[in-house]
Amino acid sequence: MRRRDLLAGVASVGVLGGAGVVASGGVPDSLDGSAPDGRGDVADENGGGGDDEPGPVEPVTLQTVDAPGSRDGEVTLPAPDRPTFVDFFGTWCPPCAEQMPDLAAAHERIGDEVLFVSVTTEPVGEAVSEETIVEWWNEHDGDWLVAADIAAELAARLNVGGYPSARAIDASGRVRWATSGTHTAEEFVEGIERALDQ
Amino acid sequence: MDRRHFLRSLAGTGVVAGTTATAGCAGVLGDGDADGSDDASGERTILGPPEQSRGDPVHPIRGEEMPEFTIPDPITGGEVSTAQFEGERAFMWTSFYTSCPDGVCPALILRLRRAQELAAEEGLSDEAAFLAQTFDPERDTADVLREYAGPRGVDLDAGNWHFLRPESYDAGVELMDENFGLEIEKVPDEENRYENLEYTFPHYGLILLVNKRGIVERAYPRGSATEVEQIVSDFERVVTA
Repeated sequence: MRRRDLLAGVASVGVLGGAGVVASGGVPDSLDGSAPDGRGDVADENGGGGDDEPGPVEPVTLQTVDAPGSRDGEVTLPAPDRPTFVDFFGTWCPPCAEQMPDLAAAHERIGDEVLFVSVTTEPVGEAVSEETIVEWWNEHDGDWLVAADIAAELAARLNVGGYPSARAIDASGRVRWATSGTHTAEEFVEGIERALDQ
Repeated sequence: MDRRHFLRSLAGTGVVAGTTATAGCAGVLGDGDADGSDDASGERTILGPPEQSRGDPVHPIRGEEMPEFTIPDPITGGEVSTAQFEGERAFMWTSFYTSCPDGVCPALILRLRRAQELAAEEGLSDEAAFLAQTFDPERDTADVLREYAGPRGVDLDAGNWHFLRPESYDAGVELMDENFGLEIEKVPDEENRYENLEYTFPHYGLILLVNKRGIVERAYPRGSATEVEQIVSDFERVVTA
């Protein structure tokens, strides 16, 4: 007889319990050794296997959502010719909502210097309606571009595992700041500045 | 007979750390004799043991046989058995549902789809299969699955992608529990976070990679967070072996 025990942080339970920062299946995957544990800065989280200098991220085009500060259309991320800041969020994710005031403050301060965008991987336009996103956006006073990555393609290219996560990418498409968990406006600004300095 | 326990926890991070620690001690993979079982896996698998052990999980791991079961493929109208690929195709299996709000399911599908793309590029489409099993058959009808595939780049015409849809929700729950030790549970959306999602499924983002002999080469227990390149490269080695 073989007895098997597994303690598993089941993927999305935290989501529904409204639990902490690592709310989805994207727990930093210490089992696979693919990403450092913890929620600190992991500037080299991206890079497709490169050890030192991360390579440029291949851009992907996403649909945008008609919401305050945003518009119905498309956006290519990362932007081919300017720095990009991406906030990965979900309307199901309480910490994502909690940090919206800080994102708004960061957007206020530095939003002109980057393509500043929030991205959800929810099935927008399918099981989750666009109105759900718009209502959440209104409720949390979002006022910048918001896009839907329903295939999780951008999330994969940027190695996003948990929500919220953020990436600041320089004008050449290289990730300069990669982080998960909530942050203050000051932290967002500092992270974004790393992508501007390049 | 296996006795399988699956303790679930709400606290993601802490529990993961615990699992890792256990895994580090258990060493059931590779050396093979930690749990007293024989290790024929060295001959049955193409890939060597993964760098880190998975502990002693409830689902099949490297060197073990893929559980055999048969489920309807609603798009082809036929049935798919996990045993039918033996001797012909390596395959990847995962479970998901289309209403999944939190990014886990599309991340799982994306990893299978990337492997499907690689197979197409390398002319190996006929040597691979991709099985994506819903545990939400009530909402995930043939039409819903077909529409889900399109925007996510899944090639339904390649003849190697199969959405698997259990005949009922209960049948799916039983199948997942019996074969993978994974508990599926419907959680009502009591807080009304979604205007049109009555319920969601907390779940475990498992991907399995199975060789042409029906033996598991890799179990990625957090498949949605495992690097795409890693999974695709493991798949390539197995399918070309």
